[in-house]
Amino acid sequence: MKTKYLLTTAAAIAVAAWATGANAAGKWDGGDDLATSPLECGAGAAAAAAPMKYDGGQPTNPPDKAGKEITIVDVPKLIGIGYFNATSKGIQDAAKELGNVKAKTDGPTEAKIDEQIKFIDNYITSGVDGILFAANDPVAIAPVLKKALSKGIHVIGYDANSTPDAREWFVNQSPFNGIAKAMMDAMAKEIGEDGSFGIVTSTFTTPNQARWIAEMQAYAAKCHPKMQWLETVEAQEDNNLSFNQATTLINKYGDKLKGLFGMTSVATPASAEAVTKAGLCGKVAVVGLATPNAMKPYVHADCVKSVVLWNPIDLGYAATYVMRAVEDGKLKPGATSVDAGKLGKLNVINGSEILLGPPFIYDKGNIDKFDF
Amino acid sequence: MTVAVEKTPARKLPRWLARHETLLAVILVIALLGLGAFNERFLTFDNLLNQGRLMTEIGLIALPMTFVIITGGIDLSVGAIVGLCAIMLGYSWKTFGFPLPLAIVFSLFVGGLAGFVNGLVITRVKVPPLIMTIATLALYRGLAEGVSQAHSVRGYPEWFYFLGQGSLYRVPTQLLVLVVLVVVAGVALDRTTFGRTLYAIGSNETAARFSALNVDRAKLIVYTLSGLASALAAFVLVSRVTTTRMDMGMGYELDVIAAVVLGGTSIFGGSGTIWGTAIGLAMIQLLKNGLALTGVKGDATIVVIGAALILSVLVASSLQRRRD
Repeated sequence: MKTKYLLTTAAAIAVAAWATGANAAGKWDGGDDLATSPLECGAGAAAAAAPMKYDGGQPTNPPDKAGKEITIVDVPKLIGIGYFNATSKGIQDAAKELGNVKAKTDGPTEAKIDEQIKFIDNYITSGVDGILFAANDPVAIAPVLKKALSKGIHVIGYDANSTPDAREWFVNQSPFNGIAKAMMDAMAKEIGEDGSFGIVTSTFTTPNQARWIAEMQAYAAKCHPKMQWLETVEAQEDNNLSFNQATTLINKYGDKLKGLFGMTSVATPASAEAVTKAGLCGKVAVVGLATPNAMKPYVHADCVKSVVLWNPIDLGYAATYVMRAVEDGKLKPGATSVDAGKLGKLNVINGSEILLGPPFIYDKGNIDKFDF
Repeated sequence: MTVAVEKTPARKLPRWLARHETLLAVILVIALLGLGAFNERFLTFDNLLNQGRLMTEIGLIALPMTFVIITGGIDLSVGAIVGLCAIMLGYSWKTFGFPLPLAIVFSLFVGGLAGFVNGLVITRVKVPPLIMTIATLALYRGLAEGVSQAHSVRGYPEWFYFLGQGSLYRVPTQLLVLVVLVVVAGVALDRTTFGRTLYAIGSNETAARFSALNVDRAKLIVYTLSGLASALAAFVLVSRVTTTRMDMGMGYELDVIAAVVLGGTSIFGGSGTIWGTAIGLAMIQLLKNGLALTGVKGDATIVVIGAALILSVLVASSLQRRRD
C-alpha cells in the first residue's frame, strides 16, 4: 500500500507537466481503437443498433453436458470488493436456482492482468466445464481464454469484455454510451451547464472505465459543450489511493472544482468521503458508479445525489444462466435472445453480447430498497 | 556446486546435506509428491512445463537479484523497469516507427541503462540501494506512464509471440532461455573471479576494497544486469500476453525477492547461490499452482506461501546455528 502511494505521488511529480497537461486536454480514445457513439441529448431511448453477425469464438469439441451437472469457475478482475461480491452472489443465486451448476469464485486480490491469467490457466488445468470472467485487459486475457476454448471449455464474459473471438458470449451490463449519458446528464443537472469537474478512475487502460470516459467526452462535447473537464486521475481500484487522489483534486482546483466523477465502485465512495472530509458537501457534487450499500451514508447525508449502476447481482445471475444455456446447447451463434430465469428474455446485441438492461440511478428515494 | 565462502569449523551434519539448497530441494520434492497425490492433474508434464512458462519472467529477474543481494544490496525498481521496457518496446515500434527487432534491442538497452543509472548513483553518490531503487521504482513507472499516456500497444506480428507462447520440443521457449541463463549465472557465480568478488563485497565491503577488488565496477555490473534482465522479462511478458501495458510488472520486486530469499540467499549479503534461487522460484510457483489445483482459493494460497517463507527462514537459521 505504502509503495503504491509513494509510487503514485513520485510518479505524479516526475511527469506532472507532461501527463496532466495532456490528460486534461487530450482526446480519450478509450484505450482501444473503437469509435465513440454518443447518444442523442435529452430523454429518449437509445436507437437500436444494426444487427451484427455473431463474432464470438467457439470451443473445440466441448463435451455434451446438456442437463448434466457442470462445474464452473468465476474469475473476476479481483476479489474482495463489494461489486464483485455482488456478482458472485448473483452467480451463486442462479446456481442454486438451476440446481445442476456448481459455481465458485476465485481470482486475484488486486486487479492485475498477469495474476488473472495465472488463475484462469490453473483452472483450465484443473478441468472445469465453464469459465466466467471479467477481464482486466481485453487483449492480454485473450490467449489464455483461447486456450480454454481449445480444450473444450465454455467461456463467457461479463462486466469487462475481451476481444470477441476469445469468448463465446459477453453479458453486457449496459452499453457504454448509455452509462456515459446517465453520468453526464446527472452531473450537468447538479453543477449546471458551465460547471467544471474532475474524474477519479482505475487506470487509463482498464477496458470499461477508459471506454466510459471516452464516451462521456464524446457525449459532453455534443450535449454539454460548456462543461469544463479539469483532470482525470488514476487510482487503481484502491480505497486509500482513490481517497488521496480525490483529495488532491479538491486541493488543487479549490473553488473551481464543482464536481467529481467516480468511475469505479471503489473510487465513488472514496471521492464522497474526500468531499465529506473536506467539508464541501453540497459544494462539490459527486456522481459515480458504485454499489448502493457503500453509498448509503453519503446519499442520506445529502452529500451525493445520484449513483449510477446496473444491478451487479443480476449481472452475475444472467452470466450463469447464459453459461447454462450454452452448455445445454440452447444458445447458439445467431440466436437473438436468451432466457435468463427471473430476468426474463435478454436480447443479443452487437453480434455476441447479451444486454442486461439500461443503467439504473440510485437516489435518496430508492437506495434503501437495495442491499448489496 | 560447492561454494568456497562457507566457513564451517565443526560439522555435525554432512556438509552437502546441511546446505540450505539441498534441504529446500528435499522439501520441494516432498511438496511435489504430496500435492501430486492430492490432484492427478498436478504432476503432469504439461502442467509442470506450463508452470515453467508462467514463472520465467520472475525467474529471469531473480538471477541478477541474487547477485545484487549477495553484494548486500537490493533492487526494488525491477518491476518498474519491466513496465518501462514493455512500454519502450511497444512505443518505439508503434509510435516511433522502429522495426520490431530494433525496438526489442532498444528496449533491452533502456533496461540496461535504467539499471546502470541505479548502479551509478549507488556507487558514486553512495545512496543506499534501498533508497535509490525505491526512488527509481517511482521514477521508471512514472516514465512508463508518461510516455504511454496509459495507452496500450497491441497487434504485434505473429513471429513476435514465439518467445512467449511458442514451444521447442514441447518445452516453452522462454523456459529454455531461463534454463540456459540459470546455468550461465550459476557458473559465473560459483566459478569466476567476478562471482567471488560479489561474495567478498557482501561479506565485508571494506575488506574487499582493501584487497584491491574493483567493488564499484562489480556493483555497476550487477545493477546493470538487473535492469537488462528486467528488460528481457518485459520482452517475454509482452510476447506471452500479446499486449503492452504500463502497469506491467507491478509488484514483481516482491515476488523476485521472495524467490531469492527462500532460496537461501542472505538478505544481509555474503552468501547465497543461483541454484538455491532456482529451487526457491520453482517452489513458490509449484506451491501456488498445486494449491490452486487442489481447490485452495487465491487468498488462502497467499497465506500458505507466507507461512512457507517464514518456515524456510526458521529452518535455515536453525541449520546455520548447528553449523556454526
